[in-house]
Order: sequence, then structure tokens, then C-alpha cells
Amino acid sequence: MAIPPPPFAPGCWPTTGPTSSRWNFQASETPPAPPVARRRRPPGGPAVKKGAPRGAGPPPRRKGPFAGDDPHPEKSLPFLYLNTNKRGITLDIESPTGRGILDRVLAETDVLVENFSPAERERLSLDIESLSTSNPGLVSVSITPFGLTGPRRDSPAEDIEVFAWSGHLYHSGDSDREPLHNALEQAWYVAGVNAATAATTAFFHRLFTGRGQQVEVSASECLASHMVQAIPYSNYMGAIKGRRPIRGSGFEELMPARDGYVVPSVQGSQPWSVVADLIGLEELKSDKFSSGSGRIEHGEELKELVTQGLARWERKPLFEASGQRRLVFGMAQDSGDLYACPHLHERDFFVEVDHPVAGRAEYAGMGPRLSSDEYEITQPAPVLGEHNREIYLGRLGFNDQDLVCLRAAGVI
Amino acid sequence: MQRESPLSGIRVVDLSRVFAMPYVGAYLADMGAEVIKIDTHHAAFIDTTRTLTGPYPDNDPGKEFWNRAGTYQTLNRGKRSLTLDLRSEPGMAILLDLISISDVVLENFTPRVTRRFGLDYPSLQTVRPDLVLVSNTGYGHSGPWSDFGAMASALEPTHGAGAFMGYLEPDAEGTLVPSETPNKIGNSYTDFLACWSAQMAIMAALYRRALTGQGTWIDLAMYQNGVSFLGEGLLDYAFNCRSTRRLGNRHESMSPQGCYPCQGQDRWVVLTVRHDQDWQAFCNALGQTDLAADSRFADPISRHRHQDQLDKIITAWTGSKTQEEVVAILQSYGIPAAPVLDGEQMLSDQQLRSRGLFETVEHPESSGIGRREYLGRGWKLSEADVSIRGPAPNLGEANDYVLEEVLGLSDSQVKPLKGDGVIGEELAGGSAPGVVPLQRQAELGWIADYRENFLP
Repeated sequence: MAIPPPPFAPGCWPTTGPTSSRWNFQASETPPAPPVARRRRPPGGPAVKKGAPRGAGPPPRRKGPFAGDDPHPEKSLPFLYLNTNKRGITLDIESPTGRGILDRVLAETDVLVENFSPAERERLSLDIESLSTSNPGLVSVSITPFGLTGPRRDSPAEDIEVFAWSGHLYHSGDSDREPLHNALEQAWYVAGVNAATAATTAFFHRLFTGRGQQVEVSASECLASHMVQAIPYSNYMGAIKGRRPIRGSGFEELMPARDGYVVPSVQGSQPWSVVADLIGLEELKSDKFSSGSGRIEHGEELKELVTQGLARWERKPLFEASGQRRLVFGMAQDSGDLYACPHLHERDFFVEVDHPVAGRAEYAGMGPRLSSDEYEITQPAPVLGEHNREIYLGRLGFNDQDLVCLRAAGVI
Repeated sequence: MQRESPLSGIRVVDLSRVFAMPYVGAYLADMGAEVIKIDTHHAAFIDTTRTLTGPYPDNDPGKEFWNRAGTYQTLNRGKRSLTLDLRSEPGMAILLDLISISDVVLENFTPRVTRRFGLDYPSLQTVRPDLVLVSNTGYGHSGPWSDFGAMASALEPTHGAGAFMGYLEPDAEGTLVPSETPNKIGNSYTDFLACWSAQMAIMAALYRRALTGQGTWIDLAMYQNGVSFLGEGLLDYAFNCRSTRRLGNRHESMSPQGCYPCQGQDRWVVLTVRHDQDWQAFCNALGQTDLAADSRFADPISRHRHQDQLDKIITAWTGSKTQEEVVAILQSYGIPAAPVLDGEQMLSDQQLRSRGLFETVEHPESSGIGRREYLGRGWKLSEADVSIRGPAPNLGEANDYVLEEVLGLSDSQVKPLKGDGVIGEELAGGSAPGVVPLQRQAELGWIADYRENFLP
């Protein structure tokens, strides 16, 4: 069986591995499309990001925070992080000429990633039925807040609305206050990684069928899939699982230490005596706290003692002492802590990237580490239209005069 | 045309416990892989989602409680169960035989235990050279914290999520400002990040194997993986020396955005006014057209500066209405708005139902579980069969199938395994989980509410 080239090689793929002269095309105007393409680095076939030709650029380039707090379209930090290793061209796909170019590219593309709204997608005829006539092997990935079907498919939504509809927001925060959202737009990260899995699955499937297909990703359903406790609580016994209780012993929760917050835990295989000994308050060694039911019954008293005990500790010494005792405590860390973390550095997690406009910085690297890992960020996110000449001249056969015409017509 | 399963013919050995990796195995089963869960019938070492996490039908663990928990069922649907005592030589020998004819192994032991069992990648490669192995740990197989155990609720703030999550609190003048106190996304969030990343890495590794014939070891440290989901937050420190960003429910550039109370107990809506056009529509939706002319709220900067005042106005409006009313009104004006759904509301949500997110499983009559709906996946493939294949397995239900049909052991070889306690179908040791009545669970804050006389 002839094996087709990979869609866009993930970080683990060897640079000496199979190469492709085909395309991985990302047409996106807002998150969540970027994460799915960022996590893969093409050994031969370029991951091409289409940018809009007018204005300050597509919204991701206008999204803060910005490098140096300068709201420059090339300094958007979400854009810089989520678009490394891609090539970037501009193309007005609304114009007949631009659409013709897009169709040429898509006829030779392995994977299309787009996040247009369902209505916009239909208007642009980006459905798989239309696209597969010229490219039956195309894997087309659509990422939307709610999917391409259903009564809510066209509803507008930002990250917080996606979290709310997914059921996740109800469970975040404290039970005596309103539900609480995360400041980073996690819905799109989660949707992006799910899209990467689904796209690779479709491509794996193509190995054996020779056919491409539509991959449809709903960000709210990706998050809803986290509700592996809340759903059975409801349909097994009619209970509503809620936010974290404000009462309790303080374990498994963020508790103050001398220099920040820690998460004491009684989970794991060690007996209570090890926990009590670590926190170091004699009263904690009382038998009444040694069982789970005892800690529930005496929760308020226990919380007061734990608070006293933890106040003697700084975060990191407590965290490391717990790990050495096979306990599973946590500690609240901020970005500065993470950049200084010796563990992450020893694992070579951070990757230095030099962007021509934003400048040099260390970026977070790949989450999973693979034995075949030659993952590296080899190039920064593209500046707007950075690869127009490379792609239009080198890959699509246009010449310099053609580019002048396309630019004059506002196509690029 | 019949739709094929993407992972038909792939065999997975699932040694993992609790949430993250078992859920990976469930998805691989949905995709058509044969997933064999390596269980144990010894209570001290059993997957605690069988025995501790619940929930049980009608809050009743029942006689065979280890087969009846709803979360266990969700995380292990469609798998087979083989019980093996890995402390025994025959148990380990059977495991290695099974791995030698399998494609993927999932495990989440600490590195110390992995080494002790000889389940590290170099060792397993001698058994199956092109194996795809996922080693899911808190901190990975290298680095000074590598032997530390971990759990998601403690990992979430450790990998930095709390730096970007916290309520706003009033300052000395009563203005709401970011709190110094971190909070948590909760709901074992970090587990799911690991689950999604593992799936992505496995599919990439299987694809690579199909092309090159080479296996892959996936060293998945949940700590490191969690940090990778905070990319721009880290860069904010690298470029701007800003180490936290806690905004409550607000947005850095779109105002107002927030979570507001509605009529009813613990009922909330969220909404976002994205730009000036939304603002005009929002004022009309509230029936307060004078707001549109109020200079305090005339542009995004003004609205951002005066969101405390705006929140009071919005709270007064939402508080007089139900979730459904607020969302219907705002959506009719094109404003992003949503009810904060709880689990019960999710199950009846028309969007989720119309898209088939919940898939029905018919359990064996002997289980007493009946027909239940389970969460499907957030993505769909148009030309492939990806669906829940059946209930989670009873303890050791596939012992005979795996040992005799898959591994070719004879009846005379299998019988001693039962006698020696290497395999078994009944829980050995332990005791049934205590039943805490729902009323008491509500008093303790473990649940937010419950339905009297619940009928599934």
C-alpha cells in the first residue's frame, strides 16, 4: 500500500523522516484554530497561515497582552505563542482571484484548519463536499464554539460563554460565590488539542481508506467532556455536583503558607501520620484525625490546626519535603516561579525564540516528550505576509510582476 | 458505505488508574481499538474509581459495587478487563506476553514503580520493539522532582493555572481589584489536559509507526504539560515581567464581561459586550437606552474603567429574570450570553442533545445500572465510526478471553492462576464504600443540590 505523506508532522517526527511537498493550510481569524497547527512542524510541507490583507491584521494579532505592552500587530503574545513554525501568507479569499488561488492550494493540501462560523463557512463554500471534488484526500478541520449543527451553532460566544455552556464554569470557583473563569482562554487551547488528535486520527484513517473527511470540533463539547463526575452524579442519583465547598479541613485546597499558597493533600498511599509529621504540629497527630471520617467530623478544628502548621512553611521547601515523603502536596506558582523552576530547566522545557519585531524570549515548549522527539521551535510566528514571496513565487509559480498585480488588486 | 473504525486492529494494554489515562483508553476504545484494562482483584491495589469515587445508582453501591460507579463507567467504557496480580511472577509474565502482541501501553505509575516492575521503555522494547508507550506521571521521568507523586487538584496551581485565576476583591476605596489569592479551575482540570495531550501524542506515534515501523515512548509529565497550556501567560512574564493576571470574570479588553446572578438558587449567566455595536444593542436589550448616552460607558476604555458601576446595573437586571429569559433576550440582540449550566441542565440541553454528545449504554440486567447516558467526545469524523462500544467491564470479565483466546493458554494453565490469586473476578479484601445520604452530602457541601425521588 502506498503511504501518503503526513499532514503536518508533530514535534516528535524526525526531521529526516518522510517529507511532503503538500500543504497544511490554516485559514483562521480568531482562536481556536492556531493551537492545532502549532503543535506540528512540517518536515517538508509547509504549515501555511493565511492572514487578512487589510487593516491591522486578523484579530489574534490584535489580542493582548503584547510584548513590551506595545499593542503592535506583530507583538501579540497569544499570536506569537500559538503560531511558531508556520509560514504566513496574506490572501483575500473573498475576491474571485483570491478564491481561485485558495482553490489551487486546497487541491494540493493534506489538511485544512479553519474556524469560520458555520454561516460564514457555508457562504465561503468550505464544506467538505465542495472541497473534496478536487481533492478527495483532504482532511478538513472545522473548529467552532458549538459545532456545525444544532440550534446554537450560530450563537456568538467568547471563551467565558463556551465555558458556561459546557458545564465547566459551574464547577469553578468557590461555592459561596459566583462561578469563576480563568483569565487565559483555555476553551480554545482544549479545542485545539482535541482538534489535533481528531485531525491526526482522520489522517491515520486515510492511510487505510485513501479518503479524507470532515473533522468537526466543538469547543464547548470538548470542555463538556471533562464532566465525568458531574454527569453521572446527575443521571445516576439526581445530585448536582457544585463548586468546591468552603467548609472542610483545608486539604486538597489552596491554603496560605509563609510566602504564598500551597495545597496540602491526604491523597496517595501514605498514612495520616506522615502528613501530620510533615506539617509538624503535635496536635495533628491526634487519633481523631487519622481517618477520613474523623477528618470530616472534626473538619473545622483540623483546618485551624493545618493553617497554623502551614504558616511555618514556605511553599517550595514544603512541596519538596512532601514529595520526598511520597505525599502529593502542591504549591501555587506564578510565571516567574515557572521560569525559575529547576525541574523544567533540567527537562529543557523552555525554547529560546527570536522574533524579528517582538524580540527574543524563552517560550514554553512541548507538553508531552517523545522518545523520537526532535521537536524544536525552529522559527518564530510569521509576521504578516512574511512568506508571500516564498509561497507565491516558489510554490505557486507566480512571478514578481504577478505579485505586483495581486498586491495592487488587494488580493495579497 | 459502512464507516470503519480508525483504530480497528489496534490493541491497547491499559495499566492506568483513576482519571487521565483511563479516559485516554476509553477514547481509543471509542475509536475501535481493543483496550484491555489490567485490573486487580486485590482491593489494596485496585483502581479507586471502582471503589471510592462513585457515584452509584441511587446512591447505593450495591453488592458488586466495584462494577457500578458512574465515573468508573465513563472512564472505562468499551474496554475488556483482565485481572492480574503484578506482584507475582506469573502475573508479570502474562502481562509481558500480552504487551508483546499489543500496539499501545498506557501506564501512570511513578518512575520508581515503573523501574521496579521493569515497565520502562527500554525493557518493554525488548518485548515489543515498535511499541507506543505512554508513561503518565506528575513530573516526568527526568528532573529533580521526577519521583514525586502527584494528583490533579494539587498539580493545577503548581503548574501555574492559579496565577491566572482569582476573584476580584474591593480595595480600600471599594473598587474591585485583582486578588492576591489564586483559585482553581477545579474538576481535575489538569487530568484532562494530560488526557488530550496523550491522545494527540499517541495518534502521532501510531502514524509515525505506520510510516517508519518505529515505536515511541511518550514521557507525559502533567506538570510540564499543564504549563504548556499557559503560553501567553508565561510570555507576559518574559516580555513584561508580569507574573500573574487575575481578572475575576472580566476580560482585559471587552467590557462589560461578567457572571451575574439570576432568579433561582445558584443560577448565573455570563455575557460579553465585545465592542461599541454590542454596547448599543446591549442597552436596547436592557430597555435602558439612556445608558447608551451615558459618558461613563461611551467607549471600551470608559466601560472598562467603570465596570463596577456597570456590574451593579447589570446585576439588577439579570436578578429580576431567569437564566433562560436573560440569555434569550441578549442572544436576540446578538450579544454573547450563556447560562452557567449544571450537570442536570447539561443533560437536557437541546444543543448537546441534538448533536448526540450523550451516548446511551445498555448495561447487563445483573448490574442493576440499566440504561444510562455517557459523555461522548467533543469532535466528530464524517467518515469514521467513533462511538461508545459498550459499558465498562466487570472486574476480570475478560480473563478467559484474554488468557485463552488472545494468549492461547490452556484451561489447565489458567486454573492455577485462579487458585493462586493471580486472577480473580471478586474483590479480595476491602469493604464497601460508606453511603453518605444526599442530604448529608449537601450539608457538607460535597454536592450543591439533589432531587428527591430521583428517577433516571
